[in-house]
Amino acid sequence: MGIFRSRPKRTVLVCCGTGCLANGSLEVYRELEKMVKGAGYPMKVKAAAKATGCNGLCEMGPIVKILPDDIFYCRVRVSDVEEIVRETLAGGRVVERLLYTDPAAGKKVRSHKETAFYKNQLKIALRNIGEIDPENIDDYIQRGGYRALEKALSKMKPENVIAEMEKSGLRGRGGAGFPTGRKWRHCAASDDTPRYVLCNGDEGDPGAFMDRSIMEGDPHSIIEGMVIGAYAVGSRQGFIYIRDEYSLALKNMSAAIRQAKEQGFLGESIMGSGFGFDLSIVRGGGAFVCGESSALMASIEGRVGEPRAKYIHATERGLWDKPTVLNNVETWANVPVIIDRGSDWFSSIGTGGSKGTKVFSLVGKVQNTGLIEVPMGISLRKIIFDIGGGIPGGKAFKAVQTGGPSGGCIPGSMLDLKVDFESLSGAGSMMGSGGMIVMDEDTCMVEVARYYTGFLAEESCGKCLPCREGLRRMLGILNDICAGRGRKEDVDTLLEICEALREASLCGLGKTAPNPVETTLRYFREEYLEHIRDKRCRAGVCPALTQYYIEGSLCRGCGLCAKNCPAGAITGKPGDKYTIDPDLCIKCGRCRQVCKFGAVSIGGGAAV
Amino acid sequence: MKIIIDGRECSARRGEYLLDVARREGVYIPTLCHLDALPGQSCCRMCIVEVKEGGRSKTVASCVYPVKDGIEVITNSDKIQRIRKTLVKLLYASSPQGKHMEDLLERYGPLPESRFEADEGEKCMLCGLCVRACEKLGAGAISIINRGTAKEVAPPFKEPPEACIGCGSCAHVCPSGAIEMKEEGGIRTIWDKDFELLQCTCCGRYIMTPEQYEHLKAKDPESEVVLLCEVCKRKKSADGFRDAFQNITFKNIAHP
Repeated sequence: MGIFRSRPKRTVLVCCGTGCLANGSLEVYRELEKMVKGAGYPMKVKAAAKATGCNGLCEMGPIVKILPDDIFYCRVRVSDVEEIVRETLAGGRVVERLLYTDPAAGKKVRSHKETAFYKNQLKIALRNIGEIDPENIDDYIQRGGYRALEKALSKMKPENVIAEMEKSGLRGRGGAGFPTGRKWRHCAASDDTPRYVLCNGDEGDPGAFMDRSIMEGDPHSIIEGMVIGAYAVGSRQGFIYIRDEYSLALKNMSAAIRQAKEQGFLGESIMGSGFGFDLSIVRGGGAFVCGESSALMASIEGRVGEPRAKYIHATERGLWDKPTVLNNVETWANVPVIIDRGSDWFSSIGTGGSKGTKVFSLVGKVQNTGLIEVPMGISLRKIIFDIGGGIPGGKAFKAVQTGGPSGGCIPGSMLDLKVDFESLSGAGSMMGSGGMIVMDEDTCMVEVARYYTGFLAEESCGKCLPCREGLRRMLGILNDICAGRGRKEDVDTLLEICEALREASLCGLGKTAPNPVETTLRYFREEYLEHIRDKRCRAGVCPALTQYYIEGSLCRGCGLCAKNCPAGAITGKPGDKYTIDPDLCIKCGRCRQVCKFGAVSIGGGAAV
Repeated sequence: MKIIIDGRECSARRGEYLLDVARREGVYIPTLCHLDALPGQSCCRMCIVEVKEGGRSKTVASCVYPVKDGIEVITNSDKIQRIRKTLVKLLYASSPQGKHMEDLLERYGPLPESRFEADEGEKCMLCGLCVRACEKLGAGAISIINRGTAKEVAPPFKEPPEACIGCGSCAHVCPSGAIEMKEEGGIRTIWDKDFELLQCTCCGRYIMTPEQYEHLKAKDPESEVVLLCEVCKRKKSADGFRDAFQNITFKNIAHP
């Protein structure tokens, strides 16, 4: 025992998730691989380089982790690689300057586990991402992959699998939050066949990239989840619907399916159980509405991606009118862990109505932008200020928009809200797929509502009248308000259209589309009134309603504003007070950004 | 099963849609995109009603809502009326010249001065019945193109459609009068395409296009497609009946 145990190999993990790739991590990886293989330095412990999926702390990318030493380097450039190999891999020393500085403690930390960003997280769906090479099935298996499938196939009846899922309390992570176990039970109870199992990988929310990261970084967790689901409901064919823009996700998922087939985790008689299931990928054309379940199925069937009425559930009549289970990427990735560790363990995490964890893409005006996974019930404050590190530039927090484009904006007074399905909808927002966009004091909430309404109007399929025409007219009104043409009855008209949208729209896109407008009206109504009544945008975002001027008493006459003004609108002599010519000013706000004395102020615009 | 519509108990069968039950019971629910022959469009949303089920109330589109035992339906609550009126306003701004607006304005008008700039001259409300009809007849010459606010009904490449057989069903089912079909001197023009018309072999009236005639023959090669107008067709069947009855003798029928 243990005598011939091989010495632990040192592994260098280079994050090749979306954010790090954009920052040049692939070049870092290639250089590392070259140097490690070439081994210009004698190494006591053999090292191997691996490209992994997203580590989450995209802000600090490219990220390089070294195991088993547990060293965490960030913002690594190609020019740093030689030093890492020489010092750390060959010499066993830490390169201090590449370590992460924890802003809370203000000191360098060696392991990522010591940082506030990671410490407060709990990774279930993202358990393997950043730890394994997604293109290598052995990496997945080494971390316990396909163990849950084996357990399900050899020790559990389909009925037990469903019961276990029900007991776990897992709810769909795609938006609606329908209990997964109950969905499976409905489907299994149907007497119709064939039955289908689908995965929704059509992530379309601006700023959201959690499904993408799982497909890219841990594709086998989805496959394993789907095979377990298929076994539970008695399906022999499944489809993964992936938006075509996600080329790396497509590549890694395809490779994973191929490997799973080769190793007998897909195909006829999986792991010798006699149960057979096959899986194919369908590429989506990038329409936001195709993330809606019935539109997604229409798209798989080869029809135009438009939703249909869902009074009859997909579990009864779904794809090709056959019983169908559709879950999203994150939901499927949770399944193997629940089967492996048991429903009691899973349901011990989270709140009464929302069990487990949720992945959020934390973006916007927050220090640590990135991908996080937190237990349900954590407060918004903890997410934004502890994990997220607060608002950059000393600015004040204003609102957080959750749940994607048709989510709502939650104000600062509600920062202690516990994040789960119920509390977010109670606040007029929603969990959605887990987008979380932080906004600071420089954000105009009317403009935010206008932006999202514009996005939704663009993405509405146009089938039903309230969504197609309602969003279009709401956008018209919001355009008017932001341009200083708002009328005093506009708020009522907006609310009237909101009601029609929410109550009368055909699908979820239309029903939730009023959220941005309704929540900003609920929490920031004063800003609307300022735009309409006073022709003023307090954030200085809406150009027609913004006047920049220099406070004479504060101006020191340094001339920095005039030097930076792209329109030549600022005049004055060094040492004197400078002034802005409102006719020439293009309201870009540059002067306000550069002024060191806070002398540039925003006033209301002239009535248009 | 029993359901309650506006306080009245009605019987319904499993699988029936709420709108059909309501209509059978004489309850008025407005619709624009619903035709008995082409049900289930569910896009105008005028047929929304409130359904109370298990203590919870929800708004549903009655044309596609399958009835459930014991539900309570309210077809014209204040809320429903208010939303329908909003829909009419939105519709009026986007298809002010549509024929469907005439009835609606009578029922819901006069509308207050609109906040929206109207799409002047527009008739189509994008219900898609024309596309469904064309598809169902087997021609599939037109479709709905683009998405969202850019949506419109058009033939491929917006050119006179090759697949069109000139049957005029699209224009016939259109509730808005948005599809123009002209007939002049034995020529029918629809979708910018001219069709020569065949005449009734009996009275000489123009009845159908040769493409339509061929389409009907190809669809059912067994049956004979007669080139008769509706009036002459009826006359011919009446003649057939008369001939048949002439040969019947009544002696075998016992009188009470």
